[in-house]
Amino acid sequence: MAAISVAAEWQLLYNRYYRKPEIYSMAWKNVDLSRNKVACASMGGPIAVIRDDSKIVQLYAESALRKLRIFNSAGVQISETVWKNPGGRLIGMAWTEDQILVCATQDGTVYRYNIHSELIEPTISMGKECFEQSVVECVFWGNGMVCVNEANQLFCIPDFKNPKPCMLLGEVEQLPMPPLCVAVIEPQYTMSGNVEVLVGVDDDHVLLVEEDGGVQQVSVEVGPIQKMVVSGNGKLLACFSHDGKLLVMSTDFSNIIFEYNCESALPPEQLAWCGMDSVLLYWDDMLLMVGPYGDPVRYVYDEPIILIPECDGVRILTNTSLEFLQRVSDSTESIFKIGSTLPAALLYDALDHFDRRSAKADENLRLIRSSLPEAVEACIDAAGHEFDVSRQRTLLRAASYGQAFCHFQRDRFQEMCKTLRVLNAVRNHDIGIPLSIQQYKLLTPSILVGRLINAHRHALAVRISDYLGMNQEVVIMHWACAKIAASLAEVVIMHWACAKIAASLAIPDDALLEILLEKLRICKGISYAAVAAHADKSGRRKLTAMLVEHEPRSSKQVPLLLSIGEEDTALTKATECGDTDLVYLVLFHIWQKRPALELFGMIQARPLARDLFISYGRCYKHEFLKDFFLSTGQLQDVSFLLWKESWELSKNPMASKGSPLQGPRIKLIEKAQSLFAETKEHAFESKAAEEHAKLLRIQHELEVTTKQAIFVDSSISDTIRTCIVLGNHRAAMKVRTEFKVSEKRWYWLKVFALATIRDWDALEKFSKEKRPPIGYRPFVEACIDADEKGEALKYIPKLADPREKAEAYARIGMAKEAADAASQAKDGELLGRLKLSFAQNAAASSIFDTLRDRLSFQGVS
Amino acid sequence: MAQIPNLGNAPINLTSIRDQSQKELITILKNIRGKKCLVIDPNLGGSLSLIVQTSLLREHGVELRHLNADPIQTECTKIVYLVRTRLDLMKFICSHAHNDASKGLQREYFLYFVPRRAVACEKILEEEKVHHLMTIGEYPLYLLPLDEDILSFELDNAFKECAVDGDMSSLWYIAKAIHKLEFSFGLIPNVRAKGKASVRVADILNRMQAEEPVNSSEMGVPEINTLILLDREVDMVTPMCSQLTYEGLLDEFLRVNNGAVELDSSIMGVQQEGKKIKVPLNSSDKLFKEIRDLNFEVVVQVLRQKATSMKQDYTEMTTTNQTVSELKDFVKKLNSLPEITRHINLAQHLSTFTSKPSFLGRLDMEQTIVEAQSYDICFEYIEEMIHKQEPLVNVLRLLILFSVTNAGLPKKNFDYLRRELLHSYGFEHMATLNNLEKAGLIRKQESKSNWLTIKRALQLVVDDTDTANPNDISYVFSGYAPLSIRLVQHAVRSGWRSVEEILKLLPGPHSETKRSGFASSPSFNTLPGAVSNMDKVGDGRRSLVLVVFIGGVTFAEISALRFLSAQEGMAYDLIVGTTKIINGHTVTETFVENLG
Repeated sequence: MAAISVAAEWQLLYNRYYRKPEIYSMAWKNVDLSRNKVACASMGGPIAVIRDDSKIVQLYAESALRKLRIFNSAGVQISETVWKNPGGRLIGMAWTEDQILVCATQDGTVYRYNIHSELIEPTISMGKECFEQSVVECVFWGNGMVCVNEANQLFCIPDFKNPKPCMLLGEVEQLPMPPLCVAVIEPQYTMSGNVEVLVGVDDDHVLLVEEDGGVQQVSVEVGPIQKMVVSGNGKLLACFSHDGKLLVMSTDFSNIIFEYNCESALPPEQLAWCGMDSVLLYWDDMLLMVGPYGDPVRYVYDEPIILIPECDGVRILTNTSLEFLQRVSDSTESIFKIGSTLPAALLYDALDHFDRRSAKADENLRLIRSSLPEAVEACIDAAGHEFDVSRQRTLLRAASYGQAFCHFQRDRFQEMCKTLRVLNAVRNHDIGIPLSIQQYKLLTPSILVGRLINAHRHALAVRISDYLGMNQEVVIMHWACAKIAASLAEVVIMHWACAKIAASLAIPDDALLEILLEKLRICKGISYAAVAAHADKSGRRKLTAMLVEHEPRSSKQVPLLLSIGEEDTALTKATECGDTDLVYLVLFHIWQKRPALELFGMIQARPLARDLFISYGRCYKHEFLKDFFLSTGQLQDVSFLLWKESWELSKNPMASKGSPLQGPRIKLIEKAQSLFAETKEHAFESKAAEEHAKLLRIQHELEVTTKQAIFVDSSISDTIRTCIVLGNHRAAMKVRTEFKVSEKRWYWLKVFALATIRDWDALEKFSKEKRPPIGYRPFVEACIDADEKGEALKYIPKLADPREKAEAYARIGMAKEAADAASQAKDGELLGRLKLSFAQNAAASSIFDTLRDRLSFQGVS
Repeated sequence: MAQIPNLGNAPINLTSIRDQSQKELITILKNIRGKKCLVIDPNLGGSLSLIVQTSLLREHGVELRHLNADPIQTECTKIVYLVRTRLDLMKFICSHAHNDASKGLQREYFLYFVPRRAVACEKILEEEKVHHLMTIGEYPLYLLPLDEDILSFELDNAFKECAVDGDMSSLWYIAKAIHKLEFSFGLIPNVRAKGKASVRVADILNRMQAEEPVNSSEMGVPEINTLILLDREVDMVTPMCSQLTYEGLLDEFLRVNNGAVELDSSIMGVQQEGKKIKVPLNSSDKLFKEIRDLNFEVVVQVLRQKATSMKQDYTEMTTTNQTVSELKDFVKKLNSLPEITRHINLAQHLSTFTSKPSFLGRLDMEQTIVEAQSYDICFEYIEEMIHKQEPLVNVLRLLILFSVTNAGLPKKNFDYLRRELLHSYGFEHMATLNNLEKAGLIRKQESKSNWLTIKRALQLVVDDTDTANPNDISYVFSGYAPLSIRLVQHAVRSGWRSVEEILKLLPGPHSETKRSGFASSPSFNTLPGAVSNMDKVGDGRRSLVLVVFIGGVTFAEISALRFLSAQEGMAYDLIVGTTKIINGHTVTETFVENLG
């Protein structure tokens, strides 16, 4: 009996069945869709209704002021508000993915409301072009909107999460005429990741406008398009052409998939995709469903309707009811199709017999023994697609009956039961979220719970998140998901706590704290600070302080301590936890609020805070840092800062041209020097600063006399070398004595300098001045480095150490001499090393071998 | 071969860590729609190259630039900054914004901090009145797998900031990185720390566990059994010595940067005039995996053997008749030819450096200093380096080694060398010297050095080191066993107990803690048998020890650790965490600061 009536409600479109069960009869009274502008959110979301100010309507017993009313899908009113917004006529209204109602008015202002009809600040303006040239049309998608103004310019808000209006078209070129129709390909389906707008204009082409301002003309052979709509996956486009044809093509216009002649020159009032398989067209009282093959299905309505496209069908809203038009799922079809003898149908039938205690039950089961698991699966799946609870139950009973006779994964059954419980709970008239199972899976449970919270359905939200979290080892494979479930409960409890504080002004702090803690304890890791912050906002200082104490997370605790003026505790807590960012937070807070000296005092005893302050100061606040050092008596640090500044002066282009501007620099350095001299421990630094000042003076003089700006900011050694290279030996000597440069260094410097200018005669002369205090090695090295073997040979024999001699010979490739010297040194290790460096040269290496054998050294490698 | 290493053989699932970082980066880029100019902190460039390929960035409409003082030249209107949370980088961003404003350029700015936003940085933006122009976010890159067994926290300046500036931010980042690891691999039950920073990190880690607990009951047996934290400060001798392993030498002379060296293409046998090429160096290269940890002397021999056997096979191939299967074997062998060629080229290039007398002399001197026998010879050697004005960092490196092993220099010598340094290299290096003194690296002697005691007790100098068949970690420095790794060796074997007395001679405190995820249940100590269970991961893998070096680690030390891990009777796999891969040169450079 039941089976027959089920399939009797279906309509056949070519080879597919469609059905259109009524889900709700609307709870609202006196709502006439034709008098109103209506926005319905997808995924079973709320419905916003406001009197249409573009139509002339008769007022009944109602105020002349318009009311914006928000209902759930079952027509139960959630909230309402009086529409008092300026901005002219309301042009477009729609829900975003986050269930925020966006309303665009004529002057390009976009108002946003939450589900409680509360205006969300700030309102967004589409810019002055829209203000001056009224908006005439709006098209919305998931989280964005496109609008056209009277000047045929095109504007866009790509993402309401970050609402920044931009002009798509209009700066250089506009649309050639008011568009016939506009459709949008969502950013997630385009190549560029930006939204693409399709605009139907006259003749036979469509403009494709991209966000970066690119415009393409696409010609369509069918002439002007009156209406078009993009499919849910962004791949297909349904258009209604001027000659009454419905065309379905791919969104790149490359091929027409099918066309159907509607025999109506009048474009349909509404055009919508029903899933991915068929297209709905609605004229005054007729709804036409067209598929790629076969005759279309007609439905007749005697009242206005609104089509709400979903991912797996279309909801049809009328004044009195809400229906869901969807394709009958394969599993449902296999069970209920008239005359079906598929295993699933037989199983369902078997249950019926079983209930009536008929032996035919067993017969049926025998018939389908081998395919029982698939029959069970079909029954479970079909149950999922049902909105009717009793039918869900029968199907599940059939499944469980079959399950008893075969091996079937139990999880699948449990999972479906759980899903259906959640679905039935939210489909309840009062909640009014008619999700299909497919929509539920697409939406995900966590978002569903989020929506319930937003709608202040706390109890249900907690119960659902709890219910799903409880059996996590079954449902949730990964622990990370458990984390999400846990945090959901957290969000809900938070919400409750805040509402509680707001509502319990009369309850004393202690008592309220107890009430709060009792609930908050349920949830591990909940943010006490957030609750405390709320208490603070409600002006309950004492309660705040008590709650903060319970917060284990320093990152939450510290800011709150600051906001209730507990700066010292905040600084201690921040320092303890090791998070320098928190320390900075406290520092800047105190810095802003207190006089400098108080800040200095506070950080002086806390090394981490002090060092961080210094780091920041070094980077950005030199002067303030100097004050700090002065106040704490760290004079040497002030000196370092001054000294550093002296270099910054030198970077000033005016100072580096050898001009007398070295003066201010020297003054800074001398100031640094005197500060260093204040403390005994910094005698070295003081002396260095003094020498530096002196050096700068001398270098300045040298630049003046030589007329070459090459001295300033080179080191003392470099200055000496430069003097020698320039041939100015007197100046070099003067620098040497001025800074008491040691004999040793002097020899190295002079030898290297002479080698640089390859003045070998002078070098020789220098070597003979007197016996060099550090031997002849510098001479040898300088010559070898300059690749002057002949010169080097003048000095190598004079080397005192035979090892040095050996190495020097080796370096200029004289193996024999090297070997001789090495044998003099009686150094086996050296011999080995020399051999290595002569490894390329067989003759040389044999010399070493013989030598080594002769000396019979051990451990030579 | 790609620069991004294959992490398939890692003892823990490092691939998931890298994939996560990659996903986060791509999400950031995806969320900023359309074409954009990605301006990265130059120091991040290397890290990013280990996470995503540039081609992938381009697919997301990215134009890549490096952050510096110059204004950004681009057609894009969206500028995305990706910078480390460093105060000094903010001024560039501010100047860009000011510059654009003065030119009337309308640009959208997105600023992503790595690894997280910081109040101090944003404060500067506020003071410069550009904060409101920026959309600010964060890219939580706390750690980056460099190779199968190396994790880097990418904190280049951590050591200097802690030792000189007293800025402990990096310690929090390190703790955060380890805590993040714990979320994936379970709470690490044993923590051993040596050094001030390490003990602090252990402390912060415990705080984090209290604030945001890793629930160990959900995760089963933790994959990492022990965490050893070690301050670089504890052992400044090792990094100052020239590394003698293959990878270490590559780093010393050619600078390995994020798993690759860059050199002239001519060295690698590619004839392209003056062009640089990048040679990736990681364990995806089988041959490199085999030889990276060997002493360089041995590497040359191994390569020679490989080449010879290859040649032999080839001659056989051309002279005798071969069966098909033999041919197949030969062709298989041929596949390794590019790897052999690559490393022969590199080794040859390296030996031009290692055969220089100056390098050999330097090695000699390092050995002398480490043995701490002849103070005067060392002193004079360094003095002469200064007089010859050899590169400053080379001088400082040796001077640090000298100062650390002697617990500072007698005041007279200290002042003398400092004066000579300033005279030779300029007074602007006062700040460098001041930094080094603050960090205790070059300082005045205040007490007697205990280096000899430490050296003897830990057997740091091993006389008969056979580099070809090593039986001790000392092979990595041809006779010196790195102090840091000796400590790890003890810590892994038996905890700090066995070296308690020596630890007291080294800088900083030490600590040893046992942790458990169940706050209420008794600790494992009281449950007999529980501890031994913890040592084995269920599926027969060896359990893991994570060794974290705060302040950086050298390749030679990593090689020594790998050597330990490969020893018979070793119950653990070792993985290394470090603030950065360093060598004596790079770590010294972080302290060099010109006043000017």
